[in-house]
Formats: sequence, structure tokens, C-alpha cells
Amino acid sequence: MISTFFSHELKSFWRSKNTGKSIAVKIFLGLMLLYLAAIFVGAGLLLDKMLEGVFPNDDLVVAFCGILLVYFVFDMVTRLQLQELPTLKVQPYLHLPVKRNTIIGYLALSAIFSFFNLSPIILFTPFIVKIILPENGALVAAAVWVSIVAISIFSNYLALYIKRRSNINGWIFLVVGAALALLVCGDYLWHLYSIQKVSNLFFGNLIKTPVLVLLPVLLAVIMFFVNFYYLKANLYLEELSSKKAEDRKSTTEIPFLGRFGHIGDLVANEIKLILRNKRPRSALIMGLFFMFYGLIFYTQKAYGESMKVFVGMFMTGIFIISYGQFMFSWQAAHFDGILVSKIKFRDFLKAKYLLFTGVSTVAFILTLPYVYFGWRVVIIHFVMYLWNIGINTTIVLWFANFNQKRIDLSKGASFNWEGVGASQLLLSFPLLICPYIIYLPFHLLHHTDMGLAVMAILSLIFIFTREFWIAQLEKDFTNKRYKIAEGFRNK
Amino acid sequence: MIEIKNLKKVYNGITVVNVPALQINKGESIGLVGNNGAGKTTLFRMILDLIRAEAGEVRSNGEVVAGGESWKKYTAAYLDEGFLIDYLTPEEYLYFIGGLHQQSKAQVDEEITALAEFFNGEIIKKGKYIRDLSKGNQCKVGVASCLLQNPELLMLDEPFANIDPSTQFRLKNILKDQNKNKGVTTIVSSHDLNHVTDVCERILLMEKGVVIKDIATNSSTLAELEEYFGVGQSSPITNTSVEFFDKEENH
Repeated sequence: MISTFFSHELKSFWRSKNTGKSIAVKIFLGLMLLYLAAIFVGAGLLLDKMLEGVFPNDDLVVAFCGILLVYFVFDMVTRLQLQELPTLKVQPYLHLPVKRNTIIGYLALSAIFSFFNLSPIILFTPFIVKIILPENGALVAAAVWVSIVAISIFSNYLALYIKRRSNINGWIFLVVGAALALLVCGDYLWHLYSIQKVSNLFFGNLIKTPVLVLLPVLLAVIMFFVNFYYLKANLYLEELSSKKAEDRKSTTEIPFLGRFGHIGDLVANEIKLILRNKRPRSALIMGLFFMFYGLIFYTQKAYGESMKVFVGMFMTGIFIISYGQFMFSWQAAHFDGILVSKIKFRDFLKAKYLLFTGVSTVAFILTLPYVYFGWRVVIIHFVMYLWNIGINTTIVLWFANFNQKRIDLSKGASFNWEGVGASQLLLSFPLLICPYIIYLPFHLLHHTDMGLAVMAILSLIFIFTREFWIAQLEKDFTNKRYKIAEGFRNK
Repeated sequence: MIEIKNLKKVYNGITVVNVPALQINKGESIGLVGNNGAGKTTLFRMILDLIRAEAGEVRSNGEVVAGGESWKKYTAAYLDEGFLIDYLTPEEYLYFIGGLHQQSKAQVDEEITALAEFFNGEIIKKGKYIRDLSKGNQCKVGVASCLLQNPELLMLDEPFANIDPSTQFRLKNILKDQNKNKGVTTIVSSHDLNHVTDVCERILLMEKGVVIKDIATNSSTLAELEEYFGVGQSSPITNTSVEFFDKEENH
């Protein structure tokens, strides 16, 4: 039975509208995975050298034992953010003569197949084979290896358990998040204790008495069954689905936008779209994290001013890029309604411009504290802000006319390839290259002020000729509208 | 009102709609019937310029629909949930649609009050987004948004399919009222022959994309349609009136 489930899952993956259709996406996805795997294999093979570099005074094995638990703490943080719940759609099986234990067993087992469980193995196995095996013998090496696997299985099920619980009660997630933050702060900020020492305590003793391996194995088994019985007790659709318990929804208005008439109404709708649906909301939140991008780059002397141009563009325009790349797909679910209702497409486009301008303005204001790094930074940000609302907005909307993929708004954004097609990949080229083409020659001639001025002027030209661009976009859309609408209708 | 000439739609080499000529006059109430795959929804979508016709044209008030915008002012339609903005509350959606037609909130509220019976206390102030409503209640929101637009042409695709019997009854009355008292041209498709023959004065029967029957509703229409759809039933209907009588008594 479980093998049937596997084959159904594979079919649902390959036959879904969004995978396997576009070769560009396949290639890109494959390269990304290879790249990630290469990083981990590389890091695994060089781990002993790296440890030597970071802890030159410590014994290699001691240093290794010290980092293990630290790794798993951060592993937990990433899992909570990124790991998806296993997604077998159980609904079609619940009413069939299939034993509940089989269904749950499948759900629980398939959770093992995750990159998060593979990465510690790739990362730590080479070290165990290279250093621990010759030094402490096969039994100890096996014990360490099994402990690592067991701990990663333990955190796998712990993370899933927390995620399942928090689907029903959102507070749990916050509490766990806060606890993890406190745990990390307690070590690295307040120095109350050291995770590294705790890690050493366990793994150090493990090397002396390999029987201790039973402890992590026991933990893993307990966590598996906690998860299993929790699932068994809650095998109801409302609890399995990712929908949270619904609170009362309120009707809201954004009075400020009332001034813009129809266009304001459209923007208000789109703001509600962003705030009330999971995927666009996570795109927005990721955009907020980009506001800290500058802290990474501006504090390093190594990066010159050309870096600031890019960082400035990302910080003031990340929303245009991350939300805009899927433009119109966000509204795929009600696109027919938009086409039939009394909305002029021109107004529809104007609303997009207004939304992008508004959000970029907010982003620009949020980046003002970077004035700490000098006034010039603010000037660069301002130029890039103009660039975003002038040129990038138009580029993004032009590519939107090529986008015919439907998006399910209720799914999370991380590792979600739905709606990604060639147009998103192509879009990244003009966005990244255009500012460089203008700026680079001036940079090479050491006239960076001129370069910024030219970029600002170009942006202003685009801003003042918006009507013209809107007319062009509308013309282009009229040709493609049937194709776009048909693509959006394909679930 | 609507004039269709040589309209054709082909998917993968199969003609799904082929209407050489069809005239729908102002104030008519049209019922569109036909089995699954007969091309009803495709025809609707072409009238609303949602899909490109391979050949031919649809004219609304003498103007070609494709590429035009002016027909949107007097046309209201609800084909499926794809017409609703599902992350809005029903109130927000209706205010939005009303706003597109220059109606103030107060005017929309008035309309909503008038529709209280139709909503049956399940739509307004329920604290739900449209996506969390049942299909039947979504249909109510869709129909309400159509009525809000005070259309001259009203198009509904299988509106009776998901709604409860009381709402079906109320919807029939609303459709009759719109048609008789407000002169609205209505085009309604349905699989329920009783409903269409009750509401519509003219029935179009589609089969494999072609309108094979175009009949004015009278007392024998229902029997005629039942005869068409009742393929494979043991005895072909010979004497319709007797057959009709028997049925009534059996119930």
C-alpha cells in the first residue's frame, strides 16, 4: 500500500501543471540542487581543515564534538522556517478501506525524505571516516554516525510536530521561536552557558562509552511515535490542512487610497491580497529582511560604491522584484472577473504603478537610517529609488504580459516553484544588467557622480512618460489577453 | 441585443462551438441547455470576450465585443468562482463592484438590504472571506454583484447547481422580476429543465457546439426537452400529454 502511495505522490509531482512543463525551470532547479549539494560535500570534505582554522588550540575531535549540537540548534531554526509538512493529499484515501495506520505510517515515513535530513550526513560523514575512524576505531565511529542520524531524525519529527501543533494554535510557533531565540542569546549574547560545552559533554562521553548512542536513538524513536500518535488522533481534514482555525474576518477600508478613485480601490484590493494570503505575505516579509542587506555590505570596506548601487536597488525595490516577477499571476484566481468587470486595463496598470511607487517610497524611508554611513549613501538610495519606480516597474509590468501561470496564494513562498517559468528567469537579466550598463562606464572613468546623475535623469524621463508606457503595455496586453486568461484558468 | 455570426471555437482540432447565426433580442429571457461538453460555457465565455474565437464575431448592441470595452457597462455575468475576488469579504467585494459603477456605499448597503431574503442571513456580517464560503453562498455573492450593476444583459452559468431549494425558488423570482419588470435580457444555462422552462421564454438546446433547437417555451417544451435528454429510456414518448400526466401522478 505504501508503495502505491509513493507512486501516487510521484505522479502528482510530475503531472502537476507546474513541474516538468518548462525546461528552463528544470535546468535551473537542477543547477540549484547541484550547487547546494556541492557546497555541502565540499564543506564536509574540508571540515577538518576548517575546524583546524577556527579552533587552532583545540584537539580536532573535541572541536568537532563541540560544533555538533550548535549545528543542530541552527538546523532546528531553519527547519521551522523552511521545512514543508509532507503533502500527501490524504483526503481521497480517508474514506477508502485503507488502514489508518498505513496512511499515518506513510505520512510519518515520507517526512524522512528531506534535504534537511541528508545534509548532516553529507556534512559530517567524511570527518568521521577521515579522523574518528582511524583514531577511535569502527565501533566509536559507527556510534557517532548513528547518533548524528538519530538526532537529525529527532529534530525532523520535533520540527514537524511543532508545525502541526501551530497549525491549530499559532501561539505555539511564537513560543517555540522565542524559546529558540533565548537559547541562542543565552549562549552567544549573555554567555550564561555554552551549547558547545554541552555538545562536548555528550559526544565526548559517547566516544569513551559508545553505549550512550542509545540515548539519541531512543529520543528519535520517542519523537517518531509522539508524531505518529498525534497524527492518528488528529486525522481530520480541518486539522491536517494548512488552514489555521479561522478567526472572524473584518471588513476594512484604507481611507487614504479613497483619494485616488477607482485606481485607489484597485490598490486597496491588492494590498488586501498581499496581507490576506500566505504567499504574497511571505514575499513582503522577505522584502523587509532585505532592509538589513545594507548592514552586511556597508560595514565591509572591501565593497566599493558600485556595490551600493545594487544594494540600494534591492533595498528600495525588493518588493517590485519579488512581488512583481509574478505579476498578474497573483490575481489569476479572479482574472476572468477582472476582464469582464468595468475596469479599464489602463486603470488596472495605473494601480500597479501606484502600488509599486507607494511600497518603494516606504522602503526608501525605511532605509534612511543608513545615513549613518554617510549622506552619499542616501543619495545613491534615492537615485535607485527613482530607478525602481521609473524603470524597473515598467520592465516588471512588461514581463507580466508573458506570464501565464496560475499561482495558489495559500501556499508558502519558500521552495515554492509554482508559477515560476522562463519569464521570471529572463526578467532577472534586465533588472540586474540595466543599472550596470549605465553605471559601469562612468565608474571606469571615475565620474561616478555623472553616472548617478544620468541614472536619475533616465528614471525621471520614464516617470514623466508613464502614460506613454502604460499605453504601450495596454496595447501589448490586448494581443495576449486570451492566452494569459486561459493560462490562469488552468489549475 | 446580442448578434452572433459564424462563431467558431476549435480546441485540438475539435470544434466545440459552431454557431452560424443567432440573434438575441432585447428583453428576451434565454435558457441554454445541453449535456456536459455541449459548449455552453465556451459560448458564454466568447460572448464575454474571455476566449478568442477562431472565426466569426459576437456583437453586443451592434458593437463587436472582442477588444471592446463599452459592453462592460451594461453587462453583468457570473460564470464561476473565478469571477469573485476570493480574499475579500462579501461586503468589501460588493462595495468594490458598486464603486466601479459609481455607487456610494450607502447605495450598495440599500441594495444589500433589498437582497436580505435572497442572502438568507448567510452572507453579510458573517466575518468570512469569500473563499471560506460554500459554493452555494459564493454563487449568491456572484448573483448579488450582478444585480448591483443594474445590467441590461445578465448572464448566469448554471446558477441553480449549488444553491439550496429555497434559494433556487428566490433566484427564479429574481430572474423573472429582472426580465419582466426591468426589461433585462437574461441568458441562463442550467441542467435542471424544470427551472429553465419555468424562467425562460426561449430555450436554446446545444449539442456538440451546435444550437440544434431554438424553441419558444410553451406547455409542451418541458416534455420535448425531456424526450431529447431521456435518450436510452425504454419507451420513446409517443403521446406527450398522457406521459406528462402520468409523471405528475407518480410523484
